[in-house]
Amino acid sequence: MNANLYQYDQAPLLEIHDLDVGYGHKPILRQLNFSCLPGQFISLLGPNGAGKTTLLRTLSRHLSPMAGQVRVQGRPLEDLPAMELARFMAVVLTDKLSPPLFSVYEFVALGRYPHTDYLGRLRSEDQVSISSSLAAVHALDLAERPFADLSDGERQKVLMARALAQEPKILLLDEPTIHLDLKHRVEVMAILRDLCRSKGITVIASLHDVDVAAKVSDRVALVREGKLCDWGTPEEVLNAKAVTGLYDFDKAEFNSALGGIELKGEGNRGRAFVIGGMGTSSLIYRLLARKGFAIATGVVHANDLDFHVASALGADCVVVDPLVPINGEATTQALNLLRDCDLVIDSGFPLMEGNKANLELLQEAFNSKKIVFTLRDADPKSVVSPMSSSYHRCSTPSQLVEALESYQRVPAAQHHPEEA
Amino acid sequence: MSTAQSCCDLRPISVRRAPLVFGLLAVLTLVMLVLNVGFGSIHFTLPQLWQALTHPQDESTISFILWNIRIPRAIAAVFGGAYLAAAGLLLQIYFRNPIVGPYILGISSGATLMVSFVMLTSVTVSWTLFTPFISTLAAFAGAYGVMLIVLAIASRVKGGVTLLIVGLMMGYLCGAVSAILTAFAEKEKIKGFVLWQLGSFSGFKWNEIWLLLVVGGAIMVLLYLQSKPLNAFLLGEEYAASMGVNIRRFRLLILLCSCGLAGMVTSMAGPVAFVGMAVPHMARLGFGTSDNRILIPGACLMGGLVASLCDLIARSVMAPVELPLSAITAFFGAPIVIMLLLKRRVKL
Repeated sequence: MNANLYQYDQAPLLEIHDLDVGYGHKPILRQLNFSCLPGQFISLLGPNGAGKTTLLRTLSRHLSPMAGQVRVQGRPLEDLPAMELARFMAVVLTDKLSPPLFSVYEFVALGRYPHTDYLGRLRSEDQVSISSSLAAVHALDLAERPFADLSDGERQKVLMARALAQEPKILLLDEPTIHLDLKHRVEVMAILRDLCRSKGITVIASLHDVDVAAKVSDRVALVREGKLCDWGTPEEVLNAKAVTGLYDFDKAEFNSALGGIELKGEGNRGRAFVIGGMGTSSLIYRLLARKGFAIATGVVHANDLDFHVASALGADCVVVDPLVPINGEATTQALNLLRDCDLVIDSGFPLMEGNKANLELLQEAFNSKKIVFTLRDADPKSVVSPMSSSYHRCSTPSQLVEALESYQRVPAAQHHPEEA
Repeated sequence: MSTAQSCCDLRPISVRRAPLVFGLLAVLTLVMLVLNVGFGSIHFTLPQLWQALTHPQDESTISFILWNIRIPRAIAAVFGGAYLAAAGLLLQIYFRNPIVGPYILGISSGATLMVSFVMLTSVTVSWTLFTPFISTLAAFAGAYGVMLIVLAIASRVKGGVTLLIVGLMMGYLCGAVSAILTAFAEKEKIKGFVLWQLGSFSGFKWNEIWLLLVVGGAIMVLLYLQSKPLNAFLLGEEYAASMGVNIRRFRLLILLCSCGLAGMVTSMAGPVAFVGMAVPHMARLGFGTSDNRILIPGACLMGGLVASLCDLIARSVMAPVELPLSAITAFFGAPIVIMLLLKRRVKL
């Protein structure tokens, strides 16, 4: 709350009013309106070609606005002298540059351009700034290395250090994590977040990882089809529907509670019913989706991790309210789903007062002679009876994967002639 | 405090080694100057040379040869080479392309074309007022004209090799026009033009030397003051602009300077191949940096050294026959272009 009050106290660094951006006479984005406060992390999200880069290039004054205005601390962007703008705003671009023969230290020193004299001589405060810029991106140890010898990830950090050496209030980054390995991807995002928190720099970055954006951003801008579709905190803006719409997802879904994207399967290898709950089934859902099974599951509570994963994967899921014991109606519903399935998987959910009724489902699977895979530590005979069906015990998920890989759909599929 | 301390250890190696390389180059260039003055088709003894050097007003043959032939030629070689190298360095940064130079981009050809108008036709005969500088001005106009055409094409097509081909084509076109002019020209004029076209630092008059020193020197001072934006431009136009470089003014200035330098040298010495392209690379290797505050003077010294050496070779290997200067420079320049083409990533 205090943090919020603190932020609202400050005047916006950058205000965008009715801005149209584009090349030539063709606007790519129209009627943009938003403003950026000090220390905010702002993500631009949208499909490739939506105009994120065009917007960034307009904000950095490389392109002039086609209509509307960008105001920098209340002044029109086009009125700022080049040197003043360079001390206010720095950029990190995606284009691969042909590396000059510079050490990392000399390369970062180029960023002192707006602060040094006509020959670019470094004074002691410039040297301090260069060192602290390198330190801020955890790259002090690279200082003496030739710039040309760096890996992609190291190079990206050094590019960020060069931008920081300008001592900007705003940092614009175009796809800062593209082409990076996972280690550097995570590191770069953590560095950017720290810059916002500890140095109060406003970061505006176009990102392609919606899950990462949801975790680091203070504000997100969804850019699609020539306009700003949505603007706000990731909590309010990044829901399954908005993200699906943004990227035209067909076989995937974003789940804000999970903070990630689930990939739906083809669902054409048959239908599997997972008896689960209490977080035991999430991995199973994902591996079933990956192996091309359609999923049905139940009965789970609405606050269960399993429920979030199952619904993001588009499973048929029988759900009851949190903390309410699973009751007869839900069980009947689940039983009907189970009877329609080709195979049944028992996730080995722990037995509690609230979910005892799920054992009825397992009992029915045996009774109706379904193929049953169980990950239960204990023998299923100890929890249900009588045993009149074959079952396969898998002690680990990878054994289940192997079992499913060798599974050929048997005539049980006659329940779904339309799928055959 | 500890960070400030560690900065001092971060002084790049290239900066520490620069004075050494500068010293070495300066000594070698001086040696070349002395050799170029001392050696020639006529042999003089050291006391004779000293006598002539210290008594420039002497009526003796030695003094005449020294002060009107050898010394102007030696100075012209040093400064001609220096300016071509500086022009090449600028163009390589401007186009962000390691295989360009004034000769390769066709700038020298443009200058040649305009000089051929002056030398082969009678159009400018009546402009007596400008006579000493008319070919310099013509060369500059030609250089700039070709530069604008190359720029127009370069803005449409990207890629290093394309630019090279465009430059070659400009060279052929300009050569074709010169050839047509030659067909119509008088015999005596043709001989002069053909000799000039082979490239040589011979025949420099003192007023040309002064023009070379004063105008060229002024351009070099201007250029050195641009070394900071030139460094920023190494990262590309967008980064340079974001750091506060006034791109439009900078681009115009760089083009004017490089065309001015290359045009001036070409008008006096004829088209000299490859010095402008190869020397900046040699300077980068020698100094181990892309920092233009070091490279601009460094490439100049290196250019002066290389041109002097080539001139010495051209006139002494087959003496008394003098070999065309461009032939000698091509012998070491062309392999460098091929090497750069084979090596896919070259640093600027």
